[in-house]
Amino acid sequence: MKANNSSFWKKNSTRSVIASLLSIAIGLLAGSVVILIMGLTNPALGLGSALEGIRLVLFGIFSTGRNAAGALTFGFNPASIGNMLFRAMPLILTGLSVATANKTGMFNIGAAGQYLAGTCATLFIALSIPSTSVPPWIIWLLAFLGGMLAGALWGAIPGLLQALLNINVVIACIMTNWIAANIVTWLFDISNLKNMVENTKSGYIYKTTFNNVATPKFGLDKLFPGSQISGGILIAIVLAIAVHIIMTKTTFGYELKACGANRHAARYAGIRDKRNIVLSMAIAGALAGAGGSLYYLAGNTEFFWNTYQSLPAAGFNGIAVALLAVNNPIGVIFTGCFMSMLNIAGLQITNLTAYNEYITDVIIAVIVYLSAFSLIIKMWLGGREKKSAAPAPAAAQSPPVPENKAPGAADNGKEADA
Amino acid sequence: MDNAPEYVIEMLHITKEFPGIKANDDITLQLRRGEIHALLGENGAGKSTLMSVLFGLYQPEAGVIKKDGKEVRINNPNDATALHIGMVHQHFKLIEVFTVLDNIILGAEDAKLGFLQKKQARKKVQELSDRYGLKVDVDAKVEDITVGMQQRVEILKMLYRDNEILIFDEPTAVLTPQEIEELMQIMKNLAAEGKSILFISHKLNEIMEVSDRVSVLRKGRYIGTVNTSETSKEELSRMMVGRDVQLVVDKTPAVPGEPVLEVEDLSVPSQLHKNDAVKHVSLTARAGEIVCIAGIDGNGQTEFVYALTGLEKPSGGTIRLCGKDITHESIRQRSLDGMSHIPEDRHKHGLVLDYTLEQNMVLQRYYEPRFQDHGFIKFDAVREYAEGLIEKYDVRSGQGPVTVARSMSGGNQQKAIIAREIDRDLPLIVAVQPTRGLDVGAIEFVHKQLVAQRDAGKAVLLISLELDEVMNLSDRILVMYEGEIVGEFDPKKVTVEELGLYMAGANRQKKEAAE
Repeated sequence: MKANNSSFWKKNSTRSVIASLLSIAIGLLAGSVVILIMGLTNPALGLGSALEGIRLVLFGIFSTGRNAAGALTFGFNPASIGNMLFRAMPLILTGLSVATANKTGMFNIGAAGQYLAGTCATLFIALSIPSTSVPPWIIWLLAFLGGMLAGALWGAIPGLLQALLNINVVIACIMTNWIAANIVTWLFDISNLKNMVENTKSGYIYKTTFNNVATPKFGLDKLFPGSQISGGILIAIVLAIAVHIIMTKTTFGYELKACGANRHAARYAGIRDKRNIVLSMAIAGALAGAGGSLYYLAGNTEFFWNTYQSLPAAGFNGIAVALLAVNNPIGVIFTGCFMSMLNIAGLQITNLTAYNEYITDVIIAVIVYLSAFSLIIKMWLGGREKKSAAPAPAAAQSPPVPENKAPGAADNGKEADA
Repeated sequence: MDNAPEYVIEMLHITKEFPGIKANDDITLQLRRGEIHALLGENGAGKSTLMSVLFGLYQPEAGVIKKDGKEVRINNPNDATALHIGMVHQHFKLIEVFTVLDNIILGAEDAKLGFLQKKQARKKVQELSDRYGLKVDVDAKVEDITVGMQQRVEILKMLYRDNEILIFDEPTAVLTPQEIEELMQIMKNLAAEGKSILFISHKLNEIMEVSDRVSVLRKGRYIGTVNTSETSKEELSRMMVGRDVQLVVDKTPAVPGEPVLEVEDLSVPSQLHKNDAVKHVSLTARAGEIVCIAGIDGNGQTEFVYALTGLEKPSGGTIRLCGKDITHESIRQRSLDGMSHIPEDRHKHGLVLDYTLEQNMVLQRYYEPRFQDHGFIKFDAVREYAEGLIEKYDVRSGQGPVTVARSMSGGNQQKAIIAREIDRDLPLIVAVQPTRGLDVGAIEFVHKQLVAQRDAGKAVLLISLELDEVMNLSDRILVMYEGEIVGEFDPKKVTVEELGLYMAGANRQKKEAAE
């Protein structure tokens, strides 16, 4: 599992990375083309404006506004980068959630609901325990763990339905998403956590800082002044590494992946497949729940409780993040950052040009679309090799004759595919 | 050899390369009109590649194909069809919910103004069926007819398209002895009517019985063509494998010891219908003997094994392993109690195909302290163990322990499973069709391993559909028919024909006698 295979593993993973980069490149290209077309067809925009838009799409994260002459300026923009990392945090966690479930063969489309469950539990705990009598860091810890637990429970429901009643996890996830949206709305509606102090904030829940609870910043705010960044991003990265280690180094990960790759064989080997399905969905839920939890524990964000008509986008963007990372937990850190970088670029476009931020949604859409194809792109990259590989590994059958090290022939391709 | 027109199809000096490997290396195959020509070779010898070339699925790097002495190019399967080349695949290509007639005309249906002209088709099928003795019920749905009849439907499909060259790819794998007998007769009839038959097989008995000539391939190379009447099974297997092969395993009489497995009155519900698939089965397997359950596929063997190994819950009865009641134990517990299981379906149960070979090698014992420490896998120990097994059991693969199981040949996948299960050194080995799809060399290997395990004092419960294997290997034979044990035999005192009658349900011993 190490040493010798590194060359093979490398090849395979390089192909994954190239496929993902290709998806991103094509996505950016498509976005640029859309900007160009809009610019050229709209007299109010024109070519110059379109080129500015394209530059912002590509380098928006480094935008520092406009200079006195009205030209775009670029440079290190700590606020943008800090905001990017802040917004990447929930995406990394929902991406991890989807990726973890995927390894076990479950498509977790319920990250949105789990994210909401985590958010709800966290806010209730963080705002209900008076910080006057309990130290805030204990409240923070309880709120964070409570959020993860709520997410885990919410994720375990579709897992249980799948394992025990064979109800498709996708359908159960979609249903639990909306159940979560409605329950959360109702719980906040009857709660006393609605922001009554600031009258511009009707419909919002108090920030956790109202109760002096917030994730420590670990000095990141000094590194990226003027941004929303909190220590949550570090926790997300630690969780990603933890998931990576569990998946690759432990017997538990071995069992989970075996269930995902071949449930029958896992069962045959005495692995409790149903338990593992539920567990993997619970872990996925906990990760998504942590995403919601950390986002609101940052202290500078507030939850709009009237959510029953919509689900948090972070849940679904997690799918894109996981797809683009080919379910690799470490890859998720980078694809999560990339997605939020596009988000920031979108804001810059809105601020600095006549375009609006929806252009980046187009780009994200194209990338998601292509990342779904990334497997095909991967196959295409290794196309010739793959085709020939099918018959080649059919190492000569059994006869223990010493002289024949020569591989057999194509007969086995059929065998192996069956 | 002789002058050209004698041959209906000639494949001359065919070479087909895949990167790194010559699947076919200068192979020549000449098929005479009206002969049954067997193509013999182990898995991976290049039989399928050669047939794929003939069918236009692959283009050879070198060599020519001649039909009736004229050179032809076959670029795709449609070209092959146009040249009247037809094939009966090992796994039938039939639509289960269609009738026999609809299946036969599918793809070659006559239509007028978009309406099917079934009347003529029916007449033609009837004629063909009478002429070649292919009895089928043209209006029955394929899902309702026997496997043997399904095969006749496949043959009729070829005949309906006026094919002259008929390729049979391992046609007997799914048939009962009686059905094989019928098929042999049908093939002889077809040849007598002037059809030319290519018969792909690695079963020497059948080749000896039915073919006129045999061409042998080994590792992509052409070894030779011999007249069947002038050769022997021993010679053929030597040509095929490249060394002498023991067709019959040497074994001393069994010395059964204590009972290891005791099954009493076991019933297992069926997934397909309301009745039990296994009905009140009782049997005992003792240390140091190979007990074989023979029977035609689908008579409850699979369900019996599932219940035995814990994959399914029985509806009644008890199972005792080494004296301990394991009827309600988990799969893992049974395994810990001493049961190893070579599963029937190596792709479904036996392997995680996307895992590497070494990961598969520890599939049954990754949790042992030897391979893990506080939940962390000891990769070095796994590697070392896998390398040991690969060496000991001669499992061949492209990249050794890190080969992805999916990319290995079927025979080596099976060897990996057998290595894994045998090496656990447990008192009971449940081996379900352990040689399915393997060639003589590999079969010899598996049989030797099982006998060695028996001699080491293990109880081996063998479930097999291959009568040769049953006769060869077992110390005691139980025949299962429709979920019941209908007879118990001593392999030395029973003939294949007699077993066939029990397997087909024509005979049964009295209940007392079966115990």
